Amino acid sequence: MHIPDNYLSPATCAVIGAAMVPVWAAAVKKVKEEIPREKMPLLGVGASFSFLMMMFNVPLPGGTTGHAVGGTLLAILMGPYAACISVTVALLIQALLFGDGGILAFGANCFNMAFILPFLGYGIYKFMKDRVQSERGEYTGIVLGSYFGINIAALAAAIEFGIQPLLFTNAAGQPLYCPYPLSVSIPAMTIPHLLVAGIVEVIFTVTIVGFIKKVSPGTIYQGAKQKTKAIYGLLLALICLTPLGLLASGTAWGEWGADEIHEVVSGSTPLGYTPEGMRHGFSFGAVMPDYSINGLPEAAGYILSAVAGVAIMIILFKIISALKKNTSGKITG
Amino acid sequence: MPEWLLKDESYIPESDKDTFINKSILSLLGLLARIRTQGCDKTDKYFVHAALKVAFTFLLILLLSISRNFTFIVISMVYLLVILSLMRGKEILHILKVSSAMALFTFIVLLPSAFWGNGYSIVTITSKVLATIIAVNILSHSAKWNSITSALKVFHVPDIFIFVLDITIKYIAMLGEFSLYMLYALKLRSVGKNHNKYAALSGIAGTLFIKSKEMAEEMHAAMECRGFTGEYSVHNRFKFTAADFIYILINAGLLTIFVYLERI
Repeated sequence: MHIPDNYLSPATCAVIGAAMVPVWAAAVKKVKEEIPREKMPLLGVGASFSFLMMMFNVPLPGGTTGHAVGGTLLAILMGPYAACISVTVALLIQALLFGDGGILAFGANCFNMAFILPFLGYGIYKFMKDRVQSERGEYTGIVLGSYFGINIAALAAAIEFGIQPLLFTNAAGQPLYCPYPLSVSIPAMTIPHLLVAGIVEVIFTVTIVGFIKKVSPGTIYQGAKQKTKAIYGLLLALICLTPLGLLASGTAWGEWGADEIHEVVSGSTPLGYTPEGMRHGFSFGAVMPDYSINGLPEAAGYILSAVAGVAIMIILFKIISALKKNTSGKITG
Repeated sequence: MPEWLLKDESYIPESDKDTFINKSILSLLGLLARIRTQGCDKTDKYFVHAALKVAFTFLLILLLSISRNFTFIVISMVYLLVILSLMRGKEILHILKVSSAMALFTFIVLLPSAFWGNGYSIVTITSKVLATIIAVNILSHSAKWNSITSALKVFHVPDIFIFVLDITIKYIAMLGEFSLYMLYALKLRSVGKNHNKYAALSGIAGTLFIKSKEMAEEMHAAMECRGFTGEYSVHNRFKFTAADFIYILINAGLLTIFVYLERI
């Protein structure tokens, strides 16, 4: 999910970076208030912990492996504000010293992985934990928090990619930065995260929190009880953002609708160097057979990912309830 | 001698897929090697102040990103290649490996858009990504990491971030070594089929977290004993050398070329 430079326009990077500044300021302030002086080095050690987490490969069914981001895990262990600073520092080291993730795109990467991921994941976790006063409630919170945290972060990255061709084109209408509209970037980013990365994140978070609860129960961060306001604020923010996404996708839709007419004309000229051909040639069905269904408009990709997401959720819940039925004989959740 | 000791036994352990341990070990080893090369024999031969390097690398990346002129990208590539040619063979190899991998990845990602007929992005973005990654890697290889963090102080980054950054770099190495030993232990002890892979992994990561918590507390105690108040002050005054001057001149030249080319 590390966005490299030149995929996003400098303007986008500046806007998102500016949006991160108050978040960082709040995080620093909150951490100074909340964490006693003698715990301050924990932030740095926590950052190296989060950096190393990305090095750990989690075994996946079928013999493959994947690695987790661990944003929700850090938020649960150290609190969301400390997690925000730790992940920010880990990302800065990756960008500045390892060349992984862009320097200009640093703000955007932080927005996705150091803000959305830990805060949303922690918010969901805390919400569930405070509502359902049992072990099961807490673990449901961990599962949902880590799964949605990473997926919404991936969605945010996809939206950042997807708005580039709408906003930044040169005189000939060619996109200057990431060339894929929302209809491509959203399924391309979210489907792998829904299927693989999200599951890795859940396994990782649940097993580690379980281990630490067993071995050293006092070390887990205890946030204030009334988080309801925060989660409602978060929901409100998400609701406010939704029309933005629809608006942007609506424009993409209209644009592509017009293109489809041109496609008939330019479809036969492969790699035509005229601006017309560049702008309207469309054949991603041939290149990305996994995501597209031939003959359907690109919006299908968009809808497809939504359908896939819903289907995956239903499958997961059915599996969970089936497992529960076996062990306890009653279905919860 | 008991009888069972004399009996021949042929125990063939069941084969098990433990790629996850091997992969984790390899990525940790790569990371540690990268950090260790930082510590030793780094004589800043072409001594340019780290703050200047950070500032101008940032400027170059910004210019590359804004630029719509392919000539400028080519010129900056040439400039970067010249700097690269002044570095050591091992470093050059590493930088080129990392950056070409990233450029190749970008190329593959953008390939579908070329089939859409957007030939512009695939050429410019791939070369921009290549140039950017080379630039960042040159910075990270040519300046010591602690001088980069001290350069951040010049740009008025809050103390808490520098403090955290400093600790992080040191502790990545320490905790990395620690987890490496645990992974070795896990590998040595799992003979035959290991049915508790997740438990083993969460054991390592969980122990790592508890360990890091302890280390943090110990470090704070040690720092307090030495009178650290949480504030950083840069002690070595900024001395302007001839190398700095040449470096600024070259970068000013690049900026001029950029302005000239983009005007057209």
